[in-house]
Amino acid sequence: MKKQSIFFILTILLLGCRKEEAGKFDGPSIDDLNSPFSVVTDLESSRDSVDFLAGQTVYFTAAFSKTVAWKLRIIGDESGAEKIVTGLNKMLDADVFTWDGSTTNLPIFKDENCHIELTFEGETDTLTTMVKVITPKTNNGFLIADFDGGFNPGWSFFFQSGLDMNFSILNDGTAPQGEKHYNMEGTVDWDYLIGLINFKATAYGETSFPLNSNPDNVYFNTMIYGDPIFVNSIILFQFEEDENGDGTFNGASEDMYSLEIPVNWIGWKLISIKYSDIPSLASGVPVAANGNSVHNSDRISTINMLHLANPATGHARSQLDYLIFTENGPLIP
Amino acid sequence: MNSKLVLIAALICISSYGQEGKKVQFVGGARSLISHSNFTSENDTVTAPKSTGGYALIDLGVKINPNANTEIMGMVRIKNEFGGFWGGGVSFDVRQLYVKGVAGNAVRYQFGNIDYKLSPYTFYNHNPDLLVPSFGTNRIKEDVLNYESFYNNNTWRQQGAAINFGLQFPKVIDDITFNGFITRLNPTDLGAILERLYGGGNMVIKKNNFFSVGLNHVSIFDLKGTGTNEGAYRNHVNTLTYDVFLDKKSYKVGIDGESGFSAVYTLTSDTKLSDYFVHARAYYKAKNKNFGAELGYMDNGPDFRSFGAQSKRIDYNQQNSFYQRYTNEQVVRPLSMYDLYNDPLRYSNQISERIMAYDPVINNALPYGAATFNRRGFYIGASYADSLKIVELDAKYYALQEIRGQGSPDLKRFNFVQGTAKFNVSNWTKWKKKESIQIGMAFQQTTRNSASIYEQINLNSLTLNAGVESELIEDLYLLGNIFVLSGTGNESIPIRDTNGDIVNFSNYSISGNEINISGGLRYNFSEQVYLAGIYESNANTFSTNPAYRFNQFMIYYIMKF
Repeated sequence: MKKQSIFFILTILLLGCRKEEAGKFDGPSIDDLNSPFSVVTDLESSRDSVDFLAGQTVYFTAAFSKTVAWKLRIIGDESGAEKIVTGLNKMLDADVFTWDGSTTNLPIFKDENCHIELTFEGETDTLTTMVKVITPKTNNGFLIADFDGGFNPGWSFFFQSGLDMNFSILNDGTAPQGEKHYNMEGTVDWDYLIGLINFKATAYGETSFPLNSNPDNVYFNTMIYGDPIFVNSIILFQFEEDENGDGTFNGASEDMYSLEIPVNWIGWKLISIKYSDIPSLASGVPVAANGNSVHNSDRISTINMLHLANPATGHARSQLDYLIFTENGPLIP
Repeated sequence: MNSKLVLIAALICISSYGQEGKKVQFVGGARSLISHSNFTSENDTVTAPKSTGGYALIDLGVKINPNANTEIMGMVRIKNEFGGFWGGGVSFDVRQLYVKGVAGNAVRYQFGNIDYKLSPYTFYNHNPDLLVPSFGTNRIKEDVLNYESFYNNNTWRQQGAAINFGLQFPKVIDDITFNGFITRLNPTDLGAILERLYGGGNMVIKKNNFFSVGLNHVSIFDLKGTGTNEGAYRNHVNTLTYDVFLDKKSYKVGIDGESGFSAVYTLTSDTKLSDYFVHARAYYKAKNKNFGAELGYMDNGPDFRSFGAQSKRIDYNQQNSFYQRYTNEQVVRPLSMYDLYNDPLRYSNQISERIMAYDPVINNALPYGAATFNRRGFYIGASYADSLKIVELDAKYYALQEIRGQGSPDLKRFNFVQGTAKFNVSNWTKWKKKESIQIGMAFQQTTRNSASIYEQINLNSLTLNAGVESELIEDLYLLGNIFVLSGTGNESIPIRDTNGDIVNFSNYSISGNEINISGGLRYNFSEQVYLAGIYESNANTFSTNPAYRFNQFMIYYIMKF
């Protein structure tokens, strides 16, 4: 037993190796969390104006008497765009949050004055300041359409001859990005198809869209408006791959992947999807693709955008803006 | 050869594989449950009070032994909810699938479903939520949930592969056994989520009648390149287990324990969370007198993370499926002890790489079992049974405290008493029919003294289960149970972010109890087949939610074959 006792004592002695923890604790101080709240230094922005295009960012500073749950809202005075950030801190600084011009709720910020509000959970205080966006954030990627420059002459169109048809670019101040967006509406009581646009790679001087060949790294993004009255639109995107590079798409021997989006929300919404996640569809049901069954993101020759609706449901209306391919992640507007 | 160490490949536990008999066997079980419930809460005119439900299921397994050293097992479950027929309400699932055997008469292997554990601080399925042993009616319920969740001897049911082999030595030591396993925790999404695996093993050196020493290693790790995320996750744990003892004819005395260290990090992070633990125990067992005693010390570092041993069976953030909402406001009914005993669907075999939530009334002292981090202190235990097993006693007391404070430099202290007393009446009266009474209890006290009133904590909780099993006539048993969970006081519950860091605290204040009184009859058709009818009344008056009560009648038919 002597040996065992020595072993036991040695084990216990190992405990002496633990570094001193006295006075330390994990998390914020409970005493601090429960003390009365007051603002120590007011809300200020690190610059009066910011040029996101030039790579500038802006951060906000403020200090409080205790650690508190806060909510910061940046609101575009003209666009109504919103950036919302929350946290639990005793002070705001660049490490807590730095604004790169991104948006939480569409639309995207414009070159405009922005109003900043800082509120606190369980407290009545509201701190405010202003910052001017000189140039909004730009997004890296291949822009298919934002309609600000009108129609590309390389695109092709088809519209049914239904009732109250309106397929036009609008400039009514409600675009989620830029100034203009595309309106699609009409009543077609004999067919699902109401109208379509073919975005051809040749319209951009390319035989196929210049994208990364890895479909897991390519994301398709678009902003779609859901109408509050006519909730029956279906937007169908078809991605035609010219697998053999002969300049034409053969539906019988080459892949076409389809993204079907029932527009069942109200207002603008960003849709982002990884190209490799887009299925091959036949009548809305996933099927094997007709070609090599490989998502060749660098072989997309045409993107068809079809505005559809059940003919029994009457008038259909939705809007479209900012179609863009991004790489290595979805669009962060 | 005499001068050299002679290694003899040993087949360990081969007897379980060497079936000389049938090449194909049918194994499995069947169960049927019918229940009728009546729910009441004060002034509640919205919740439908009565519900009736049930199911019948059969687990049908085929065990094939194509040769003496190989076993293939496939088991399907057919379940039919009462009220469903012609395919409606019927589900078919694969419940078990594995291949196991012995290769080269030396290496034991298993693929598919594996039930696995290594050591209490590496890979171990602790049971920190049911602190008192079940008896009477509760034993039926716990047997069902253990069967459903494959909880057996503290193993986790995983999907992967395991191997095991041993070497025997003629002198110095007796044998060395090697164990290894690999399982898959989650698949990749080819993006931010990488393929995550869990693997490890140990080497145990034994000298019979003197010592046993083991080196254990487990790792949760992401496979780089299986997605676009460069920040592959790592949780490494290395431990040393030991048991040094003196085994005499009349007694055994020894020292055992486990010590080791852990690290958690991602490949792109500059920070690494690492810590160590020490757990040592001296024990004594008087073999002829059915008496045992132990004295232990544990020091589990505040940053010690071993998710294979710290994952809980129950996720306390989940919602019930039974009377999920109640009152006129249709508030969510939180998990209760009733759900823990009655709803196997609340349990999981998922290893969580995040610190899981727990209920401080149920277990605040050791919410993750012996592997709970940030605990230091002693424990002492004793067990006794008389020679006729008329009385069986078992008790343990823990005096623990935090090592690092949470939200305060002042430390929480934990007193935890756990004990069971069983009185086998029929052993005393010499009756042929079995009559037993069992009382189990667990009392916990958590305190934190501080100059700040906001940091002061005082939480007391009691779990009590008193049960009776009385054989009325041959194979017909009267069952009864009183189960009580009570709690009073306050606690400060840490709120953690996705990295496990504490970002806030929730003030938790509670008083009240949950009392379940049940009784019933059980008839054993054989050792493997029985029918039981149980009536129970469950009342919950905890102040954290509106009070409610329900009465329930259940019929169980359970068969194993």
